[in-house]
Amino acid sequence: MIEYQIKIKRERKNIFQDGWVWRMAWRDGRHNFSRLFLFVASLITGIAALVSIGSLNYSLQDELNRNAKELLGADLVVNSNKKIDTAFYQLLDSNASALAQDAEMASMVMFMNSRQSRLVKLTAWQGDFPFYGQLVTAPADAYQRMQSGEYAMLDETLATQYEISSDDSLKIGNRMFKVAGVVRKIPGGGQLTSTLAPAVYISLRSLDSTGLVQFGSRVAYSVYVKNESEKETNALVAKLNPIIGKYGYSYETVAARREGLGEGFQSVYRFFSLLAFVALLLGCVGVASSVHIYAREKREEVAVLRCMGSTGWQAFTIYFIQILFLGCVGSVLGAAIGMALQQLIPVVFGDYLPVQVTFAVSWRALLEGVVLGVVVSVLFTLLPLVNVRFVPPLAVLRSDSVLTKRFSKTRAVAMGLIVLFPIVAAAYQTQSAVAGLLFGIAIALALGGLVAIASLLLWLVRQFFPVHARFVFRHALSNLFRPNNQTTVLLVTIGLGAFIIATLNITQSSLLNQVEFTGTENQSNTILFDIQTPQRDGVVALMNEQGLPVNQVVPIVTCRLLEIKGKSIEAIQKDTAKIPDWALTREYRVTYRDSLHLSEKLIKGQLQRVERSVNDSIFVTISEGMHETLNVQVGDSLVFDIQGVPLKAHISGIRQVDWPKDPPNFIFVFPTGVLENAPQIWVAATRIEEDVQAATFQQRLVMGFPNVSLIDLRLILATVQELFDKVAMVVRFLAFFSIVTGLVVLAGAVLNSRFARMKENALLRTLGARTRQIALITLIEYCYLGFFAALTGILFAVGAGWLLCRFFFEVAFAVAVGELAYIAVGVLTMTVLIGWLNSRKVIRTPPLQVLRKEG
Amino acid sequence: MPELVLKADGLTKSYRTEAGSLTVLDQVSFEVQAGEALSIIGPSGSGKTTLLGLCAGLDVPTSGTLSLMGFKLNNMSEDDRAYIRNRFVGFVFQNFQLLQTLTALENVMVPLELRGERQALPLAKKWLDRVGLAERMNHYPSQLSGGEQQRVALARAFMTAPRILFADEPTGNLDGENAENITERLFQINREEKTTLVLVTHNLELAQKTDRILRMKGGRIIEESRTTRA
Ligand SMILES: Nc1ncnc2c1ncn2[C@@H]1O[C@H](COP(=O)(O)OP(=O)(O)OP(=O)(O)O)[C@@H](O)[C@H]1O
Ligand SMILES: [Mg+2]
Repeated sequence: MIEYQIKIKRERKNIFQDGWVWRMAWRDGRHNFSRLFLFVASLITGIAALVSIGSLNYSLQDELNRNAKELLGADLVVNSNKKIDTAFYQLLDSNASALAQDAEMASMVMFMNSRQSRLVKLTAWQGDFPFYGQLVTAPADAYQRMQSGEYAMLDETLATQYEISSDDSLKIGNRMFKVAGVVRKIPGGGQLTSTLAPAVYISLRSLDSTGLVQFGSRVAYSVYVKNESEKETNALVAKLNPIIGKYGYSYETVAARREGLGEGFQSVYRFFSLLAFVALLLGCVGVASSVHIYAREKREEVAVLRCMGSTGWQAFTIYFIQILFLGCVGSVLGAAIGMALQQLIPVVFGDYLPVQVTFAVSWRALLEGVVLGVVVSVLFTLLPLVNVRFVPPLAVLRSDSVLTKRFSKTRAVAMGLIVLFPIVAAAYQTQSAVAGLLFGIAIALALGGLVAIASLLLWLVRQFFPVHARFVFRHALSNLFRPNNQTTVLLVTIGLGAFIIATLNITQSSLLNQVEFTGTENQSNTILFDIQTPQRDGVVALMNEQGLPVNQVVPIVTCRLLEIKGKSIEAIQKDTAKIPDWALTREYRVTYRDSLHLSEKLIKGQLQRVERSVNDSIFVTISEGMHETLNVQVGDSLVFDIQGVPLKAHISGIRQVDWPKDPPNFIFVFPTGVLENAPQIWVAATRIEEDVQAATFQQRLVMGFPNVSLIDLRLILATVQELFDKVAMVVRFLAFFSIVTGLVVLAGAVLNSRFARMKENALLRTLGARTRQIALITLIEYCYLGFFAALTGILFAVGAGWLLCRFFFEVAFAVAVGELAYIAVGVLTMTVLIGWLNSRKVIRTPPLQVLRKEG
Repeated sequence: MPELVLKADGLTKSYRTEAGSLTVLDQVSFEVQAGEALSIIGPSGSGKTTLLGLCAGLDVPTSGTLSLMGFKLNNMSEDDRAYIRNRFVGFVFQNFQLLQTLTALENVMVPLELRGERQALPLAKKWLDRVGLAERMNHYPSQLSGGEQQRVALARAFMTAPRILFADEPTGNLDGENAENITERLFQINREEKTTLVLVTHNLELAQKTDRILRMKGGRIIEESRTTRA
């Protein structure tokens, strides 16, 4: 017999020349696309999360750039904490086309309609501010009326809260003002400050007549400059630069304001976009697991094709084309949905955004979303689908034939790319390689941790499940270990969602626990400040009369540093950059006393004291942490500038200060017998339990001591809580995305195991199981799954939350067990619901139908 | 001298299992001439399917050589063997193995299309007509009976005008009447097309219709006989 030894020359075609694979992709796919529903759904959720956050960011940055001048309301603002010098004002005047001024201070105001009072930001205006942007008032002429001096305006939030109408009046300091109207919108960077400290506006002329500006009052003065051109502004800046330091003023330009706001928002955006990115990564898990299932299902078909002479690559290409097509569709859909979702975010956060974001389609975010979606679908499809190439044709004869090859170059490359993907994409998202790398490591740790916990739980339950449990419980458990059931993937994806929500909850309760000073017995929750020395006894008497505890009455002296360890501040600023500027030049508010406050503990050295025998003999204590910032130790010398008088002192000890505990607390504490004669103001702290009591006290205080301000810490706490709640809402929303992805994976897994389940159920039925029992088994199985997923996530969150609290926030770790239980129940319910909804058909199918289909 | 289509020489196949090495085929040698119809019979587990898989190049032997149409299959790559299958080999399986997502017509077209041929459509129609399914060509496998599905498989097998047809229990899943119908067609077309046929079956009656019978047991050929037909 002749034996051919010729090498076969096959024609090698690439994907574009080989029309057959395209035809096959279409023919095979046309009735089959629903099989890849899970794949598309995973992709859509992930891309939608990312695009919604990204698009909001781009719109916001756009808006910031477009309305930059409105953010400041002027071309340039000069800020000072002293009255602006006349010569300086004249210099500005001769270099500007228009000027306006304001003075801002904290003050109590009493609403005469209800006789309630509260602390507000009092803004006294003069001139035609704003030069850019719009001041929206109701009625429209409120600003003009206010300038007459008899009227005041107030923020709309304040007016609503205290039910102020236009014929009411306010008492500010010693004076009464009629209400001219409310301020709806004001340039200058958003409503956030207005929520934290609502404002009341009067004219600058009438400020003096209120009698509020006294010694020690902290007033911020600003001059707003309008120029005809940017050139003029630049010229003015050039003139100001050499002299402004001498006056102790500072200035802010439009660019600086925009950058500040932009950066602030950017860091918030980074945080959110990383969360959205986690949702996308979960989508990737969904993509990979759905393609894995798909590739398994297609094995028989591939074997037939190979029998008839198709190459491994051809078979691979057929399914790859299908998935690529759906990947594009899913990405576009996801990006579109993300765009729609973006519209919801300003509704929630409108108050906190520095500018109003109008609806705009961010093409960049859209494009990024689509590109990322396609990249994700290719990348996460490659690994599971590559197995198709190695399906042996022998599988047509024996369906249990194993894959012919375990290692391939394609697979190795795909694996490498998948590891690189989160790092590169996160680096792009945050515009920082380090952040990307850290994120990659964090993701690896998080997923690794979740997989470890999930596997451990499954192992434990297998080991220790009671052998004598009822049949349905045992059988439901064994279902979790059904081959191809993807139990670990499900535990990890659903668990990750639970993990994010639980971690958020734990950090939130730990942080709030920290500021929850109102809860603890006898701690001060109300601070009175700006008390003048002659008023001190009167204020204390009022507190006593009202039956309020006088927790603290402390003097405050403001001073600056002149020298540290014999070296002048200027010299220190020049040589090393070791000590930050703010610490060197800031105004320190110090007190004097001879004992420790209840929030203080001496951890080194001795208490502050005066040694009469020695020449320079004043010893002060410094708070822990600050001694490191200023790089000083016990025994080092300091020179303070006390209202123009230099005073040398030594450090005698270091105090540990629990800052939130019973405020006010201080960095420097002097001994008694030194500062008594220095100009000073007093701060008093008390605790008020009842709202009614608080109202009466505030009323009496404002009547008797109009210049004394009062801070209700409970009010601030409520505001902080509110802000936290809104942030938490977005985080929850994104975590919800990941839970949804997990549930989509679950639904897919249920659908894909449908036939195996039906067969098994048919078998159980022939063995005598009733429908009720089969339903029960299914329910219990999803209960297990939901329970283990929640447990996996929450256990991991407790660990991560502890680490975060201990090392990042540095607060005590606090867990609200009840709330975590709610999270667990929520996750469990959703899992059972989704599992059940997708299984009903399986349970209802009569056994005969299943058995017939098998043949 | 008649042409040799298939030559197996000392074919041995063993599997590594947990319980050690399991020899499924042991030194099997035989030849098949062009145009001949050969059947392989034997008890379950005797290695018939394994042997068929090796002969068709679906798997590689542990030792021994195999040439198909003069091509040594042993040291060919999987994709090269796929090419040989596409050129010279047709298959009919016990469980039909139609692609569920394609219509009958599309199923039949696949092997020719794989070659890049553009004329697959008229030929496929012709073959479907020949197996009596012209009316059903746009139906999906799930809409056809077992016998009809096997007829589609038959049409698909003959589409490429194979030199050799491998059939593994082609009637195993069919009832008497349908089985009869399929066998009839198989032998008829085989005669008309002068295709070489290798048939694996349990059915002695069916085997009697071929020229030669190989009887297997425990991985060896224990008997070789000519039928009366020859
Ligand atoms: N991948 C494998 N691993 C281990 N043993 C295998 C494998 N494939 C086949 N066998 C064994 O080889 C033997 C022969 O199998 P084969 O399928 O060839 O038998 P058969 O003659 O076709 O049987 P039947 O008539 O039942 O189809 C069987 O004992 C089978 O268990
Ligand atoms: Mg067999």
